[in-house]
Amino acid sequence: MATTFKSLGSDDVTTTRTLLHESIPVTGSIVSGTYGGVATALGSEPHIKTYSHGMFQSVYDYPYLSSSANHLFDITLGYTSNSALSGAANTQNSKKLNVYNQMAQVLMGYDETGKVRKFDEDGDVVSGGTKIKECYFLNFSRLITKDEIKKGSFELELSVSGGFAQAGANLGVRELFTDRIKITDFSGSDGYFVNSPAGEYGVLFATGSAGVNVTAAAKYYPVGLLFYQAGVAVLSGSIFNDAADSGILNNAAGSGTCKMRTGTVGVTGFNTTTGSTVSQMADALRNRIYNLQFNNTTELNSTIYFCRANNTEFNYSANPTYLSTSNGPSEIVVKDGDAGTDPASYITSVGLYSPDNELLAVAKVSEPLKKDPSNELTLRVRLDY
Amino acid sequence: MAFLDNSGDIILDAVLTDTGRRRLARGDGTFKVAKFALGDDEINYRLFNAAHLSGSAYYDLEILQTPVLESFTDPESQMHHRLMSLSRNDILYLPIVELFENSDLGSVRDSTTNAFLVAVDSDTETAVGTTAGVIWGENVSSVSSTTIVTDQGTDTNNSPSRTHALSADLVETQYQIEVDNRFGSIYNRSGRRGRVSFVNEAQMASYYFSVGSNPRYVSNITSTEETDSSIDGPRGTRLQFRIGASLELNGSNTLFTRLGGTSTVGSTNVRHIDTIVRVTGVTTGYSIDIPVRFIKKI
Repeated sequence: MATTFKSLGSDDVTTTRTLLHESIPVTGSIVSGTYGGVATALGSEPHIKTYSHGMFQSVYDYPYLSSSANHLFDITLGYTSNSALSGAANTQNSKKLNVYNQMAQVLMGYDETGKVRKFDEDGDVVSGGTKIKECYFLNFSRLITKDEIKKGSFELELSVSGGFAQAGANLGVRELFTDRIKITDFSGSDGYFVNSPAGEYGVLFATGSAGVNVTAAAKYYPVGLLFYQAGVAVLSGSIFNDAADSGILNNAAGSGTCKMRTGTVGVTGFNTTTGSTVSQMADALRNRIYNLQFNNTTELNSTIYFCRANNTEFNYSANPTYLSTSNGPSEIVVKDGDAGTDPASYITSVGLYSPDNELLAVAKVSEPLKKDPSNELTLRVRLDY
Repeated sequence: MAFLDNSGDIILDAVLTDTGRRRLARGDGTFKVAKFALGDDEINYRLFNAAHLSGSAYYDLEILQTPVLESFTDPESQMHHRLMSLSRNDILYLPIVELFENSDLGSVRDSTTNAFLVAVDSDTETAVGTTAGVIWGENVSSVSSTTIVTDQGTDTNNSPSRTHALSADLVETQYQIEVDNRFGSIYNRSGRRGRVSFVNEAQMASYYFSVGSNPRYVSNITSTEETDSSIDGPRGTRLQFRIGASLELNGSNTLFTRLGGTSTVGSTNVRHIDTIVRVTGVTTGYSIDIPVRFIKKI
């Protein structure tokens, strides 16, 4: 009996999981500097979206009113109520408290008494230790993190130069980036924490990467946490403060602690937040991003169907050109008039069918595969989900 | 030490068809891959050159150089021609499916368009119904209606002759008929509508008819007379059916306006829609596309 279908048995189907990584490089000039031109002040760039509620700022890779724009990440910040920076008279004080608490309850969860856990500097929540009380949050879009940030691949390089370049006629002049720190999750590839309700996270460490004696000591400082599945980087405010201000920077480096805003603010470094809005602080961070890169991970679940063509199978074709017109329209061309010649066919596609013969999926080979009684083929057809 | 030949194990990435996606989205368990088939739509076997001066290794050189197209999601546009498994290797003739146009059977196409015309309402039937090639789409059982007839067998210019029986493993026992469900349905000569097996994403309805189960549709060709079949050689089975018009075509001009045009049949002005009805032998995989024009008197 002729047949064109072959049933797939339980031994012909298996499932696999594949991790796919993409490199995501975000140069600092995309974050601030590429769009708007020199006359555009920070925060007014067309690829920066701010909101009337002022709780966060969104960064796009292109002016966000364009349909070509992709959302990269959001920037916000917050502090705890027992932070030295918290004060009722401070700008957007309650919003900064709310942001910290919201992020902490989602990312760190609650302790046994029902209180929201604070972000822990070294991830060792049980032993207590130093808490991150004031921090920036970089909430990366799922568009770029996909299923998760690849552990050990995160790098963020920030300027910690003392001055603030943008003023007057130099509105669009970016930070000079002479003194820089690099923040990485280098321990994440082999050491990360699983005690968060939002998945796995690693500790971010900072060290000097450009300039002389940038940090207070030549070592790696724990300056934040990176939540891999949630796609959130928590950056301690200490990265912009000098050691005298409980930060990591050298007291003597450059012209002192980073100036985050133009004009006379009175304080420098992350302490600027007391008199600044979330958006102004987000602008300040963007202006200091030199480079940002990581690899993302996409988990592909696949079903593999082993389509086995044995030596006696699929050697003939129902293709109309398979038959000649020279001796009636039924003679097989590749036999050249000799019944004793082996039949042959050429495979270009594999169709996967339902029990009622509906075509559910199609796979193609890159070039025709010859099938004749002298060979057998196993085609592994993979369906990704 | 040479490398092992790994050409026997090839990984292919499959693309879900529209039907596959719809079934997957439905989440009711109807997405179940139960079988596979191999296809060779791009191959032109007539490039096989058995006279190549360099020998048999070069006979299929041009075939093997055929570029293969990427797969896409329309299930109607792929896997038209499937490879076939037969236990014997000594077969020289394969069966085909051919239209059998015979005035005694009332199965002749319209000579102007070379298509079967389906009159979608009684007005059109009255106006042009006696023209050869017109199927009565409203009164399907009419004796004046044309019937589509296809014959299956090995057409060998009578060598081997028609008196030889077709090998049992080459006899087609089941046919699939695909027709656009927006335009019409499949009926037998008695005017009884066939049972739809499924309608896919592209609105193509599939009907299955088998020897024994559907004797009004499929029968064995027993005559060996030359004029009794289009197959000039060992004969297999015959499929015959008519097409009934859909209510949409019968009662509305919308689809004619959107998808068709106007023409004349004899002296009658009609709206028309051209389509294809595909008949496929389920066992042998051989298929034939039959041109059909739905017409409606203006």
